[in-house]
Amino acid sequence: MTRIVLRRLAVIPLLLWVVATVTFAVVQAAPGTYADTIDNPRLTPAARLHIKTLYGLDQGSFDQYLQWLGALVQGDLGRSFLFKQPVTDVITTALPATMLLAGTALVMDLILRILLALISARRPGSWVDRVLTVLSLGVYGLPSFWLAGLAILFFSLKLSWLPASHMASVGADGWSLGARWVDFIRHLILPASILGIVGAASTARYLRASLLDVRKSPHILAARARGLSEKRILWVHTLRPALGPLVTLIGLSLPILVGGSVVVETIFSWPGMGRVMWQAAVARDIPVVMGCTLIGALAVIIGSLVADLLYAWADPRVRPQ
Amino acid sequence: MKRKRTSKTRKIAAHLGAVSFLLLAVSGCPRLREPPPKTLVIGVLADIQNWNPYLTETQFSEDLLALVYPSLAVEMPDYHDHPPAFAPALAQSWNFSENGLDLTFHLRQDLIWSDGQPITADDVVFTWQAQTSEEIGWYGAYTKDFIDSVEKIDKHTVRFRFSQMYPYRLMDANEGLILPAHAWKNIPFEDWHSTPWLAHVIGAGPFVPVAHVPQQDITLAANANYRLGAPAKISRVVWRIVPDQLSLMTQLLAGELDFVSSIAPEEAERIEANADLRLIDIPHRGYTHICWNTTLPELADPRVRRALGLAINRQTIIDTVYRGYAQPSLGPILSTMWAFDTNLQPLPYDPRSAAELLADAGWHDNDGDGTLEKDGRPLALELLTNAENHMRQDICMLVARDLRAIGVSVTPRTVEWGTFLSRLRAGAFDGAVNRWVEPTQIDLEDVWHTVPEGIESSNYGRYSNDRVDGLIEVVNDEQDINLKKKMYRKIQQLIVADQPYTFLVEGRKLRAISTRVRGSIQNDATPYFNLEAWELP
Repeated sequence: MTRIVLRRLAVIPLLLWVVATVTFAVVQAAPGTYADTIDNPRLTPAARLHIKTLYGLDQGSFDQYLQWLGALVQGDLGRSFLFKQPVTDVITTALPATMLLAGTALVMDLILRILLALISARRPGSWVDRVLTVLSLGVYGLPSFWLAGLAILFFSLKLSWLPASHMASVGADGWSLGARWVDFIRHLILPASILGIVGAASTARYLRASLLDVRKSPHILAARARGLSEKRILWVHTLRPALGPLVTLIGLSLPILVGGSVVVETIFSWPGMGRVMWQAAVARDIPVVMGCTLIGALAVIIGSLVADLLYAWADPRVRPQ
Repeated sequence: MKRKRTSKTRKIAAHLGAVSFLLLAVSGCPRLREPPPKTLVIGVLADIQNWNPYLTETQFSEDLLALVYPSLAVEMPDYHDHPPAFAPALAQSWNFSENGLDLTFHLRQDLIWSDGQPITADDVVFTWQAQTSEEIGWYGAYTKDFIDSVEKIDKHTVRFRFSQMYPYRLMDANEGLILPAHAWKNIPFEDWHSTPWLAHVIGAGPFVPVAHVPQQDITLAANANYRLGAPAKISRVVWRIVPDQLSLMTQLLAGELDFVSSIAPEEAERIEANADLRLIDIPHRGYTHICWNTTLPELADPRVRRALGLAINRQTIIDTVYRGYAQPSLGPILSTMWAFDTNLQPLPYDPRSAAELLADAGWHDNDGDGTLEKDGRPLALELLTNAENHMRQDICMLVARDLRAIGVSVTPRTVEWGTFLSRLRAGAFDGAVNRWVEPTQIDLEDVWHTVPEGIESSNYGRYSNDRVDGLIEVVNDEQDINLKKKMYRKIQQLIVADQPYTFLVEGRKLRAISTRVRGSIQNDATPYFNLEAWELP
């Protein structure tokens, strides 16, 4: 087991190098440079040319790649063209915001997903099950920017219950710690709910299906024969085995925790990784795009490793001999 | 049985209680929507890049920093009457030596930085060193190319020595904000890129920064040591960064923002319908046009280009795409500029004359398929624009429809901005819908002069006219404003006669401001032109 883990850990640098190289090639193939994207009519062509030279964008793609890789080997992700600070600073500022948002969303997603699946699987085919199916498919089918807009319209504009954007209110820096926390949570609710609800709606069906599968298995019949209550059968004997695939899904959610959501973060002015990545891509900010991609790739690799380990832990059948 | 029901009811009651408590906790907290009193809240799409003015490139960063750092003089928005004049700021006066190569600034003696230190000639000299430092690599360093030295004459007098005579000496000397030498000279230039500048900001403008949460908000407060004018009347200004135009509009309409400087024409109606907001409508320093690729055989003939221009109904574009917030564009110089030729006539909408011109030029529909041909080649053009701009896409559709009516087949094509630019530069297009935003100083060389070999130019359509070239080469050195005007008039007439562009519209700049704000003066110099004089109830 340890050997397998070590072997998989050992290939991580190679995988990262492949991802980085392919991404670099794609970014370089995209036309235009940072100097072309700057929104400033006062910049003359001479000034734009100067900026190109300043950031080394006038050099060949391969030279730029070698320089970037050389710095990376020494642990230097470079400096952002757009944000004017080291890429590591850009990422360490954006990452906590994304992890808070995506983490809260993931918890909401899991709770909601289990609840929905349990309610649906209790009496499959009943009107409750059908309504929930239609609702979750409906939510899954809606674009999240539309749902977000609807939520803002209703909860922020009509009811004035929750703020429509940002992590804090104007002037919150002068408040007590408690008030600032409440303010932060109020700002977190809408974006986290949108992400959580969309996530739950898209996957509750899978959990419902595996619940139903488990219900057909012999050990449930045995449990009934032993005279256990239906509640206990559902909560203990059905839910537990059905959660196996869910464990994998949690592992695979790691990239979302790190990568963030472009749409939700942009609409709610949430300063997370998704928004940074999108701004950097539009501005052709190569160091930031590369840095975010590497972090994302690392999260995917670690996430799938964690998922495999969790699954092996939860289900002895898949444990390597 | 009875006991069980009671416990169930209790459970439900407890759940309901918990949920309503949560809702109360969340919604019952102090109503946070209204900003605190005497705080102005401005909505912007992107954050400031850096607090050091020589390490930024975006327009918003420059507009914001101009509220914090001082400049020697301030360019006035009076380009309608003559080349822009300068009003005193740090410098109370300036004069040129007899040979015109020395420019001496006399600084005001009563000015201090926000930390109380005096502003002196040392600050001006230090700023010039920073501006021209290769380690810093300021993009505007080229404006200092002809300045050989900047010397301190005495504590409040500083002399710029130029290597040659040219018309923009004052403008170039004044370019860039003045830095606090006493505080910043201890930070070596090579460390500037890695310095967190917010902690080092010492200004002399009406405002000083008090907080900056990246990608969230920027807070400026009135500078207690401001002496260049009356102190700011608003104690705090907060810029909320809202990266999405739709969210920006939502928050503006919800009363969370007092000012937004980027309003699209289709949003104007909602602003005007809102009793708490006022729409600001000022001329924009840009013109939208179709740049024709004059190297193509179909488009090399000026008659063809003129015909295309005659067949396009500008008024429809103004009414539908710009909702009326635009006017026809007549030529290469904006109608708001002093050098604009007021005798220029707009190209009329005249499809009949257009068809005749095309027939004159040898284009006929011989095979009856609705598209004109010449020597077996159909008159089929691709109209390129960038996908990010839906207004330009709408223009493409309208133009395609108008040109179709005279037998020109037009295929609109939208590509992403970077691709658009690289295709323009490579000349890989037939026609392109684009916009130029013009500086306050007129410089026609980059767009209209014949492209010299091996030089990057904005003359994407490769327009070339020897007479235009000759006039552009001499007009900059002409000192007499009337002669200058005459030359510009001739250039405009020549270009309009050649129609290398179909000049479409000059748009308007739309902004929205809360009716609770008083005293704001709006022009296109910067959205925050007299921010220190704005008042809140």
